[in-house]
Amino acid sequence: MARNVLIVDDSSVIRQMVRRLLDVAGLNVDAVFEAGNGIEALAALHDHEISVMLVDINMPCMNGLQLVERIKSNPKLHDIPLVIVSTEGSEQRISELKRMGISAYIRKPFTPEQLRDVLTPILGVSEHATADAQPADDSVF
Amino acid sequence: MPPQTHSPLTTVFSDVLSDLAFMFTDDEPAEPSPGSIWLEGSIRYRGPVSGTLTLVCPLEFCRMLAANLLGLDADEPEAEARAPDALRELLNVVCGQYVTTAFGHDKIFDLSIPEARVLPETPQLASSEDDRTTTLSVEGHCVQLRHTPDPA
Repeated sequence: MARNVLIVDDSSVIRQMVRRLLDVAGLNVDAVFEAGNGIEALAALHDHEISVMLVDINMPCMNGLQLVERIKSNPKLHDIPLVIVSTEGSEQRISELKRMGISAYIRKPFTPEQLRDVLTPILGVSEHATADAQPADDSVF
Repeated sequence: MPPQTHSPLTTVFSDVLSDLAFMFTDDEPAEPSPGSIWLEGSIRYRGPVSGTLTLVCPLEFCRMLAANLLGLDADEPEAEARAPDALRELLNVVCGQYVTTAFGHDKIFDLSIPEARVLPETPQLASSEDDRTTTLSVEGHCVQLRHTPDPA
């Protein structure tokens, strides 16, 4: 199965930075797609087979919370693993997102190691990805 | 000599800059360099309390920020093209970290979409240095971050 990642963030700088960190983390993904908000993300899901989504919360048009709701209520999409990548650190909000069914939460700023620790079990183990694995810290669950 | 203490605003800003972009602040007094193009970025937070963070900085700082985020050289044209977006994202991360540091992890805040604009002239940076204003030298560039809480 293809290992395709969809990055959903309104910042083109962050999308490009995450692309670079995916490469640095050695996750060997097959393809990386980008969306600038929730609406663009839903369109990308229609066009591509996505293995995991990295989703920001604070976005225009359709934010990350609204996007998670839409995906988790859609039987065709609700099994796609969702990783929230956000600057927000409220315990209540993280608990709410867990209840909604997200797979993981990474708080910005983050390191390639944190990204690798979260994505390796979701995408499947690869030799390259785990060669230098280090434990994640508390900005990841 | 007692260790220098910093306000939460200064600490959060310095930590985010180093963790996000490998840029470091120093304790030397910072002076705005004349002749630079200056940008102002802002972001609002709303929750149990509300307010605004505003960052004033030269374009060269934003270009270096973009370059470090993207793994580019600061003199590449793409670094300059992405400079305003890099400033917005820096504010987004600083604000998210600051509201939890200042007000606690148990409260929910909604952040606005950050904005950035070019200032028409070199700004007169506020000279007061307190818990709500921090003026720093970052990699040789003078930057000022202000926290403006909404009136109660």
